[in-house]
This record gives sequence, structure tokens and C-alpha cells, in this order.
Amino acid sequence: MPHQGSPSSGEWAFGQPGGTPEERRELDYLFSLTYEELRRLAATVRRGDPSVTLNTTALVNEAWLKLAHSPRFTSTSPLHFKRIAARAMRQLLVEAARRRNAGKRGDGIVPIGLADAAGVAASTEEKLLALDAALVELAQLSPRQAMMVEARFFGGLDMAETASLLNVSEATMLRDWRAAKAWLAHRLRELQ
Amino acid sequence: MESERWERMQALFHEAAEQPATGRRAFLESVCGDDPSLLKDVLSLLEEDAAGASFLDSGVGEMAQDLLAEPSAPLLPLKEIGPYRIQGLLGEGGMGVVYLACREDLGSQVAIKVLRDAWMSPARRERFTVERRTLAQLNHPSIARLYDADTLADGTPWFAMEYVEGAPLNAYCRARACDVAERLRLFRAICEAVEYAHRHAIIHRDLKPSNILVKADGSVRLLDFGIAKQLDSEGTSQDHTRTGLRLMTPAYAAPEQIRGDPASVQTDVYGLGVILYELLTGRVPFDPAGHSTGELERMILEREPAKPSAAVGTAQTLSRASWADLDVLCLTAMRKEAARRYRSVEALIRDLDHYLKGEPLEARPDTLGYRTSKFVRRNRRAVFAAAAVSLTVVVLVTFFTVRLAVARNTAMAQAARAQRIQRFMLNLFNGGDKEAGPADNLRVVSLLDRGVQEARSLDREPAVQADLYETLGGIYQKLGKFDQADTLLRGALEERKSVEGPGGVDVAESQVELGLLRSDQVKLDEAERLVRDGLEKTKRLRPPDNAAVSKALLALGQVLQARGAFTEAIGILEQAVKLESTPGPPTPELADTLRELAINNYDAGHFDIAKSLHERALAIDRQLFGDSHPSVAVDLISLGDIQQELGYYSEAERLTRQALAINRAYYGTDHLQTANSLTALGRALVFEKRYDEGVDALHQALGICERVYGKVHPAVAEIVNELGGVAYMRDQLDEAEAQFQRMIAIYQEVYHGRNHYQIAVGTANLAGVYMDRKQWPRAEQLFREALQIYIETQGAGHVNTGIAHIKLGRTLVRQGHYSEAESQTVTGYRILIKQSNPTDSFLRGARKDLRAIYDALNQPEKAKQYQEPVTVTAAAPVGR
Repeated sequence: MPHQGSPSSGEWAFGQPGGTPEERRELDYLFSLTYEELRRLAATVRRGDPSVTLNTTALVNEAWLKLAHSPRFTSTSPLHFKRIAARAMRQLLVEAARRRNAGKRGDGIVPIGLADAAGVAASTEEKLLALDAALVELAQLSPRQAMMVEARFFGGLDMAETASLLNVSEATMLRDWRAAKAWLAHRLRELQ
Repeated sequence: MESERWERMQALFHEAAEQPATGRRAFLESVCGDDPSLLKDVLSLLEEDAAGASFLDSGVGEMAQDLLAEPSAPLLPLKEIGPYRIQGLLGEGGMGVVYLACREDLGSQVAIKVLRDAWMSPARRERFTVERRTLAQLNHPSIARLYDADTLADGTPWFAMEYVEGAPLNAYCRARACDVAERLRLFRAICEAVEYAHRHAIIHRDLKPSNILVKADGSVRLLDFGIAKQLDSEGTSQDHTRTGLRLMTPAYAAPEQIRGDPASVQTDVYGLGVILYELLTGRVPFDPAGHSTGELERMILEREPAKPSAAVGTAQTLSRASWADLDVLCLTAMRKEAARRYRSVEALIRDLDHYLKGEPLEARPDTLGYRTSKFVRRNRRAVFAAAAVSLTVVVLVTFFTVRLAVARNTAMAQAARAQRIQRFMLNLFNGGDKEAGPADNLRVVSLLDRGVQEARSLDREPAVQADLYETLGGIYQKLGKFDQADTLLRGALEERKSVEGPGGVDVAESQVELGLLRSDQVKLDEAERLVRDGLEKTKRLRPPDNAAVSKALLALGQVLQARGAFTEAIGILEQAVKLESTPGPPTPELADTLRELAINNYDAGHFDIAKSLHERALAIDRQLFGDSHPSVAVDLISLGDIQQELGYYSEAERLTRQALAINRAYYGTDHLQTANSLTALGRALVFEKRYDEGVDALHQALGICERVYGKVHPAVAEIVNELGGVAYMRDQLDEAEAQFQRMIAIYQEVYHGRNHYQIAVGTANLAGVYMDRKQWPRAEQLFREALQIYIETQGAGHVNTGIAHIKLGRTLVRQGHYSEAESQTVTGYRILIKQSNPTDSFLRGARKDLRAIYDALNQPEKAKQYQEPVTVTAAAPVGR
């Protein structure tokens, strides 16, 4: 699996093929910020109460509250921010999953809480990595649907927000969502 | 798969899903007959769909929980990092852990700093790779070498650097009980290391004593160069709850770092300043103890630190003068605005060397930095120069930096000019070693003369030349050398016109400067013309709230004040105050303007307003500069004057003594500012009837003024006036006569025979002498003259005019010319009644005169009108 670098490779291109190098750089930068903020927030939440479920929507909202004051984000709408945050969250988790996997194979840091490698059920990290791979494939088929899944699943956007983001009707979105879910579920089964 | 196929799949899926479950397969078979794989795919979609909600519906929370559940730092010890084998733990800091490690193949020991909680996004990791190559190039004996840097598998960065055995800076100094000399030596070595890094375009950004180790042999090692940059959170600037990425304690952070602005060379200069502060005093300038992070940050942004000499407390073996210079060194490095600090570490080292060799510093305390040509305005008319203190040379690189920092041309051109001028001034004053001048004014002057010569050679750079001329001209002006100042300022104006045309922005400012010189030269028409013109231009070319506009307004106010046009000056200055009263901390410019406004109100007789304005200025100056600053002294003197007018003599004396103490301590005993305070003190003592002491103080002041200004200058005349007044009070009428005559003569020469209210003052005073000698006709004639001038220069309704009427009336009473006496005295009385406290002695005198008049005119009812009011307040001043 190729290392997923910063999104400047055109994966942002939905709706705006290419974009100027400056725009891409700006997006990169915003992404970096969001990524770091989310991670920091996640760590803070964790340190606070480990038993609390990580509510990504709340995380994203909180990250937005913090970053909205930053001068770099003045021209970003909350919706657009959530889009960035969703991607950042995905990246964050993918990396966490990769680390876990690497750990299991003995490549360095040995983390606590090692999942039982011999377990029947697929571990969380395997699941996530599979999902990520499947999403990459889905993006080839339908960039819009991949973005939709990313936004909803990783970013916690609700139906209305996602529809607005993608500029489609909610009805269309519901159809798309249903189909995408089915496909992904199928694909995941194959990958794992 | 192709997206078209996917579209098709979806379409079929949705259609089939609408069919009843049983009929779906059949439907699909009929549609996808020729494409069995399509059939299969759609069927699997339907199957998944039928299975119900998937984890995708519930959001990523649980997965995230799981994945992110591991602690950020590995709890189990690392065995290896890159090619290094971990041998032990050296320590733990706010940002990370430091391990002792060695390279198997090389066998050499290194220290590896692992930065936990350094959340690096992938983009940043890429940049990091580039950075570390630069960092590895730093090769200096005082900098811990960076050998290697990379990230762990999870993105945690680590740095492998030279393993240094040594103690952190402060611990070392404590353990060895280092004296100041040794501490400065260490400091200098640290500065050199930082300067080296700057030459390689690397800013440290996190200079603090814990980052500096001292080895047993006394050599220093700086750690963590450029590392802070890697951790810098680039986004949030207002976030006080940052953890992890941010410096744990901002105690060493520069204001711009706290604001989240980019760091610069001057950020490191600030850090060095703090280090020096702590080396000298044992304390940090802003103590985190007992303050929240937010409060600490606010202190750093807004509060001025206590001077090291004040903070040092326990006995230190340095002389006061030495401490003064160390104060300047330290505080210049620590100025809030980066542009006002030493421009580079090189400049800091240079001044440090000056200090170590016992030479004067290049940097100066805040006063000159702010005030340039608008320095401390006295509470009366004379402009006292802010010339060189006893042993130190005036103005310099920092002065220029400040002046040129006022944004004019583009940043590039400005920076280039600033650099050239900086080099120019450096050359100028470095060459000054060979000067063996005796008195310091002379030394300054000879240096300035040389400066002018060299400036002349800059013909090909008119903009730079103009700046130099203007600054040098300003210095000459301060020293009272008006002719040289004149040539230079006019030269600057011409240069500027040639560079930007007659309507340019710099030209306008030059005009204002020249106007102020003209005011000093007492060429008031020209002064007003120049300043008004400059003001108009500035208003046109600049936004209304630009500092240059309020500066020009202030200048106009000053010129009008010098002309005696106080009411108009008040209007102008109130505009300036409004412009300068923006929200945020008060500025020295605002204090200046308030002061000038107060002076004009005082001169217009509005003592209460003047008092509150001076009090405002005093509060601002205290806030900005602390209690022992000359600006505070000026305010104290002004307040003292007013207290005197209001009759609180001992309060006046108290204030002026305070001011004198400040000025003496700051400027030395033979300085114009001290003269100023001596005059004020003398006056206050005289009012308390302590005549001998008062006269002594006044004579001292006079001596200083004559030495600086020569015998013909308003400043001298003023003191002469005071002396005349004292002599008069003590009934030494011959002495009084001589003094007043001298005063009049000076003013007449100074104002080129034109009328000026000061001449009226002198004339009236002289007339008073004749009255006491009972030489009524002579007194009458002089009072008429004085009255004329007062009416012409200050207006018919002015306090002084009123007093003159009354005095003239009195002369007439004495001569029995009662009807004219009545008209004069009544006129005067009416004027005064509107302005003064009714218990004022002039009014009492007037009433007494009027009673006498009406008695003589046999109009007892009218006489009764002017009885003394029965209620006399206890605060009535005695014996005016």
C-alpha cells in the first residue's frame, strides 16, 4: 500500500480539477493544521477520560472552534473545514492503524494493548486499513461517493451537510450512500 | 472496474431493490443476460444491503477510540533509534526525553532527544527532512553538533547530537559563585555562538539557560538549535491552552513568539537579553510564579521589566554608572518591538565589548528612542536640549533604527537605507576612539562635524543623505547649535524635494522639523508657515490617524504656544490628542501632546485643566518609563508650577525637589534638565519665602543655561525674570530693576524687536519696581506699554492683560487720577473675575484699589460692592 502523502496529488480535485499550485499549497497547509489539531485534541480527550468514546463530530467541532480564529482559516467555511477535517481524521487513523500493524510485526515500538493477533475477528486496524484501501478504489469509480463516505464516516457530517457539500439533493445522496455502503461492505469482505 | 460500469451497477441495484425480494433475481437475469459478472456483482450488492446497518453508519468513533487509545509515548523503553543503540536515560524535559546512545559502528557517544507529543503532519515531516540537513551544517565550538535527525515509525522526531558533559548555565554560575565579569564572559561566548548560527541563517528561537551547558573548563555549548522551529504550531496564535507543541513556559519567549508571529534574528536577541538579565540578577524578568500562563504572556507583551540594576537586590560590586550601562544593554535587547532591539547579535556583542572596555555604549535608553526632536518640552517656553550626559556620546545606531523604522518607503529600500546608515554611524563612532576631546559636548560636536562631512560625500544617495542631514541637524538643534542645524535641516529638505518632488511625504516631515528649529531660533513667522504647510501636506498624503499627522499637529501646537497663541494651540492639540487616544496602551507621543496641551492651558490661565492634563501625562510617563525617568521629572515640575499658581507652595516644592532629584541622578549636576528643575525648585522656595535657598538654586540654573545657550536666549531670560522677581519680593529694588531690564533686553533681541508677551511681562515687572520706588509716572508709562503688548499678543481678555489693567489702575490711583484708575481697574477686575479663584490676591488688591477709588470719588455704594467677601476659605494663600 503506497504511503498516503499529503493530498496535493490531486485527490482534492473533486469539483476543482487541479487548482493552482498556490491553492494546493494552501490546502496542504490547512490540512496540516487540522491534522495536528485533531491529533492533539484526541490526545487531550484520551488523557481526560479513557473510557469516553471518542466522538469525532465533537472533535471536529472543537478543532474548528480553535482553528477558526487562525488567520489562515478566515476564508474557510465551517463546511469546507469539516471536509478538510474529515480527510485529516482519516489520515490520522490510517497512520495509527499502520503503526499498530507495524508493531505487531515487530518493527520498532511495541505498544501497549496489543490486540490478540490470533483472534478470529479482524482487528480494528486491519479493518480501517482495508476500508482505506477500499475507499481509494471507490474514489476511482466515483470520487463523489468516496468523498461522501469520508465526510460522513470520518468527519461526522450529517446527511444535510454532506448533501450540501456535494451539491446534490438529499434523495440522491441517500441513494448514493446506500449503494456505496453495499459496495464497500462487499469489498471489505474480500480484502480481509 | 470502470466508472461507467459502476454507474450501471448502481442503477441496476436501485432498480432491483425496488422490486419485491423474490422477483429480484429474475429481473436482473433478464437485464444482465449477456454479462454474468455484472449480475454477480449486483447480487452481492443486494446481499450486503440486505444485511442491515453496517459499521459505516455508526461513524468512526469506536474505531478511533481503539486506534488512538495507545499512549503517545512508548511506555516501554526504546532499545534502538535509527543506527544508535540506547544506553541510558539522560533526562526528561518538557518537550521530550533525552537518551544517551552510541553508534555501534563508530563507537562514539551521542545524546538523542526524542520529542514526544510532536505531532507532525506528513507535510511537515517532509519539510523536516530538508531542515535537518541545514542544522547538521552548524559547526562551531560553542554549539552542540547535530549529527542526525529523523522520525520514528510513528512520526515522532528525534535528534542525535553531541553529548555534552556540563552543567546548565545558571546552575554552573551558582555552583562556582561566578562574579559579574565571569558571567559576562560566558554570555559573550553564548552570543558568539548565536551569531554564528545567524550567519548560517539559523535562528534558535528557544534560547534559555537550560539550553546552554557549561563544561568543566568553562566553555559553553548551546543545544537545540532550530529544533523549536520543528515544533512550532503554525496556526493558532491566540490559544493559551496550547500544550505539547508550544514552549512549556513562556517565561523566555519573546513577545512576537507569544503572539504567534514568525521569529526573526531579533527574537534570538531578545532571548539573549533574558539570559543576560538572569545572569545579572538571578531572576527572570517576568516571573511565572503565582501567575497563570495567560497572565504571564500578557506581562511579557505589555509590561516593562524592572531594570536589572533595580532587580539585583543584594550587593553587587559594580558602580552605578556601570549598572546603568548594563541596564541599557539588557533592556535594549529585550525591547518589546523587535525593530527597536539590537539589530543583530553582532550589534549586541559590540556593545558588550564597549562595556567591557569601559567605553560608552552605542545604544541609549528609551528617551531618545522615542523623543527624537520632540524631546522633553519644558513647562514654559524654552526648549531644553537633551544633549549628552556627562560621559556618554549622544545618539547612535539605535537612534537611527528608530527614526528610520517609521515606515516611509518600501520595506526593501528602507531596510537598505537603514543598513547603510547604520554602517555609516558605526564607522563614525568607531573612529571616535582617536578623539581626545575634553568636554563631552565638544566631543559630540566634533564627531557630528565629521559626520556632516561624511554625509556630504553621499551625494549619489540623496535619500540616505537627507535622512542623515535631518538626524544630524536634529542633534545640533538639541545642542543649541542652531546655525549648523539650520544648514542641515534645510539641506535635508532640499534633498527630499529632489527625491520625491515638493509635495512628497518626507518633504512634509522635513518641513515640520525645520519649522520646529525655526521656533527654537525664535523665527516664529517662518516656523508657523513651515509647520502649517507641512501639516497640510501630511494630512493630504496620509490617512488621518497616521502618527505623522498627530506629530505635525503637535509641532504646530508648540509653535503656536511659542507665539503665545494659546487658545488656537489648544484647539490644535486637542485634535492631536484625539488622534493619539486610540485604544490600547498609551504612547509617549500621547504624553507629549498632553503635556503641550497642558502648557497651553496653563499659559491661558486654565490652571485646573492644565493640572489634570499634566497628571494624565505623568501617569502615562510613569507607566511607560518607571518612576525615575526624566519625563516623569518634567511632569512633576509642571505640576509643581501649577500647584504654585493655585497657592500650594510646599506641595510645589515637594514636587520640584522630586523632579530635581530625578534629573540630577539621570543627567548629572551640570545639565540643562537639571537647570530646569533647579529653576522650578528655586521658584517654589521663593514662594515659601525661603529666599536665600531659592536664589541659590536659581543662580545655579542660570549658570547652566548661560553656558549652554549663551547669554541671549529665552531660557536665560526666564531665569533672570525669576531672579528679578525674588529681588523685588525682598525689596532689593536695584537688583530687581537690573534683572528686569536685562530680561527685557534679551527678549527684545530674541524677538527682533517685535512684540511678544514676554516683553510685556518684563516691562510690567520693571514697572512694578518703579511703583515700589514711588516713581509713578515712570511706572505708569511702562504699564501702558506692557498693556499694549498684552492686548496685542494675548488678547484683551487674558489674565495677564487683566493684571496689567489693575496694575496700571493702581499707578493711577497713586497719582490721584481716579477716573481713569477706575476704568482700568474695573476692566482688569472684570477680566480676572472670570478666570481666577476669587480669593486671588490680585483681585483682593483690585478690590482694595476700587474701594479707595470710590471713596475718593465719593461713591460709597460702589465702594461697598467691592467689600471683601466674608467667607474666606482656609486655603487662601498667604502673602503673595
